[in-house]
Amino acid sequence: MDSPILATTDLSSYLPIVLVVLMAVGFAMANIVLTMLLGPRRAGRTKGMTYEAGMNPVGTARKRFNVRFYLIAMVFLVFDVEIIFLYPWASTFANLAPGSDQSLVWLVRILFFLFTTVVAYLYGFRKGVFKFD
Amino acid sequence: MAGLVEMVSVCFGGVALAQTGYPAEMHRLTLDHYMVVSAVMFAIGLIGFLTRRNLIIMFLCTELMFQASGIALVALGRYHLDFTGQTFVIFVLTVAAAEAAMALALVVLLFRRRESLDAEEWSELNG
Amino acid sequence: MMERVTYLYPEIALFITTCIVMIVGLSRELKHRKLCAPISGLGLLAAGVLATGLVPGFHVATGAEVDPTAGQILLPNLVPYAKVLVAGVGILLLLLQAGTVDRVEEARIASGRAAFNPLRSNRAEYYAFFLFSLTGLMLCASADDLIWLFLALELTSLPTYIMVTMSTSRHSSQEAGVKYFFLGALGAAVFLYGFTLLYGATGSTNLNQIHHAIAAGGLSGLSLAGMLLALLGVCFKIAAVPMHFYTADVYQGAASSVSAFLAFVPKTAGFIAILLLASCAGWTHGAGDSLPDALRTVLWVIAALTMTVGNVLAIWQNSVKRILAYSSIAHSGYMLVGVVAGPGGGTFATSGIAAVLFYLLCYGVMNIGTFGVLACLEGRAGADGEPAEIESLDDLRGLCQRHPVLGWTMVICTLSLLGLPPLLGFFGKVPLFTSAISAGEIPLVVVLGLNSAIAAFYYLRIVGSCLLEKPETTTGIVRVTPFGSRPAGALASAAGVIVLAIFGNGFMAASEKAAAYDGGHVEKKEPRAAGVPETAPQALGPAKAEGH
Repeated sequence: MDSPILATTDLSSYLPIVLVVLMAVGFAMANIVLTMLLGPRRAGRTKGMTYEAGMNPVGTARKRFNVRFYLIAMVFLVFDVEIIFLYPWASTFANLAPGSDQSLVWLVRILFFLFTTVVAYLYGFRKGVFKFD
Repeated sequence: MAGLVEMVSVCFGGVALAQTGYPAEMHRLTLDHYMVVSAVMFAIGLIGFLTRRNLIIMFLCTELMFQASGIALVALGRYHLDFTGQTFVIFVLTVAAAEAAMALALVVLLFRRRESLDAEEWSELNG
Repeated sequence: MMERVTYLYPEIALFITTCIVMIVGLSRELKHRKLCAPISGLGLLAAGVLATGLVPGFHVATGAEVDPTAGQILLPNLVPYAKVLVAGVGILLLLLQAGTVDRVEEARIASGRAAFNPLRSNRAEYYAFFLFSLTGLMLCASADDLIWLFLALELTSLPTYIMVTMSTSRHSSQEAGVKYFFLGALGAAVFLYGFTLLYGATGSTNLNQIHHAIAAGGLSGLSLAGMLLALLGVCFKIAAVPMHFYTADVYQGAASSVSAFLAFVPKTAGFIAILLLASCAGWTHGAGDSLPDALRTVLWVIAALTMTVGNVLAIWQNSVKRILAYSSIAHSGYMLVGVVAGPGGGTFATSGIAAVLFYLLCYGVMNIGTFGVLACLEGRAGADGEPAEIESLDDLRGLCQRHPVLGWTMVICTLSLLGLPPLLGFFGKVPLFTSAISAGEIPLVVVLGLNSAIAAFYYLRIVGSCLLEKPETTTGIVRVTPFGSRPAGALASAAGVIVLAIFGNGFMAASEKAAAYDGGHVEKKEPRAAGVPETAPQALGPAKAEGH
């Protein structure tokens, strides 16, 4: 029995989690049961719409999106992937001897790396990706 | 309150009992398990790439092959007790993201022209 | 630590140029946009100059200790040669790229029918991708680590997929781009898995340490599997046999200027990767100082099949581009002979590595000549205003009479590809023969010789239609491109074919120096990397090291 979870004998530490789960399930169940018991039932055209009190849905869901959405997704991807590399850097940077010239080298490297993001941003800006009209 | 605790412990106890029925090896994963999973993933990806004709599926199959390497790299990194494997995985993920962006761009471009994603339909270049 | 950065100065120069080009190419002013190509040229020139300044060797003395930060020490002199080669051929390729993209769009803007719309302009991306790909190629040469090699190969390939797709507005370009991308992704996945297994088998991604582990413990099953998968994946880049299916379609679908790029850049990256991987395994095994037996056999078969398939299929083609594509496959086969032969005695005549490196230069130059001529000619404009590409062999009929300069460029470069004696291709091919003979690979030499003879069929067909046949009466449809730098690039290549054949000694000496292989120095019995299975130490390595 290697698993630390299974090896735990004092299960009371899990109690808050169980309580929260029970509360969540209970709240959902209670709402469903209460609406079944108390709520009025009327069917109609408005009632059957996708967003009953929201916007009126127009056209089909299979419409083509503006290509701009795609560009935004790409820009997001650039920043998103950039972040992956910052985490390992950030977690190792503190371990370098403070004040040594090595840490300066590391700082310059990551700044160069961030500079590439700036270039990507500049490029996107000139390409008109951030123009919403 | 005490009843609740008892109920919870019965739940966990049930899990524990089920576990004790397992042979000891089953909950001790070794490197081989990971390597087999990754090899199977790689093979599924390769076979899928070669047999399926839908471009999105074909792309997903290459992704599957990339991620098979990812699994193997993490497991091997743990096995060799260094971080090289995990470092490699980060770079693999980056390249996979770049490829995903390109694949989607190409697929969108082609779909606008042909209204189809069947690889068989593009056969202007043959001969 | 800092000294290693100096070895990346050429790449950094190219990268900064790329960033500038990417921004400048999106200017509203035409005169700013037009700066893209000159800036790229300057960047390549700067990278080349910086590369000539690289003195080979952040090179650790032979001994048991491998310093993982030492850079790649198996082929320590490869870096400057490869980078100068890339910068030089890159400039020739750049000359061909004029007007490849945005031609119709720029004409519409010039005539006032449209305003400049950055979303419709592709110039910035095109030149940026061009430079990114060359940056990746240079990085391949510097690679000392599997992660690095993987990233460099991907940086070389990913931009080329887009370049193929955007090179013309025809459907066939897009089809070619998709085909190229999907097979490229497959190839990448395969060599990535190979790299993974190599890491698993040796416990390191550093090429020097992998070499150490293999030399000390022999090629275990896992590392052999990894090596084979890696080679198979890289075969895609060089268009060698199991992964060659895309070549003809892609070269035909892409614009000629891009086809020239494809025939040189991914191929060079692939060969550098293959040389690095093979030097990890070491040419110190077996009876005749060759690669480990399994690897040698596989490479042998791939080489023989590749040149045969390429040459035989080329005979049946009628499209010039397809012929050149199959010839490109065949040339990969020729170069693989050099890889099989290995470093030999280290002199230019006996070193297969030197032969490969020199042949990459030769092939780059002559290939740009042939594709350059195709890029100079254009057919009637289609419905979208874009002129058609030259396809059929008939379009070349009587080219020497109609456009003597282009015609003779084509003839010279084609004859050089064939390997006719006074031209560059001959001087490139001879060391492949001699190195293979000195390595004892006689059957492979026979295959190589037979294939050179088969190749004469289709090369002479091209030469014949340019030189001997009369122009058709309807040839008015084939015109010379208005972009002056394309003929300049083609002409420069033809000049290179002749000049390098006469004054090529310097390059031969350089490639001989670059091919210096440092794999024999591994003395046994250093502490192996953690996790490497203990196997009986093999006597092969050290015995070989004493052998020469």
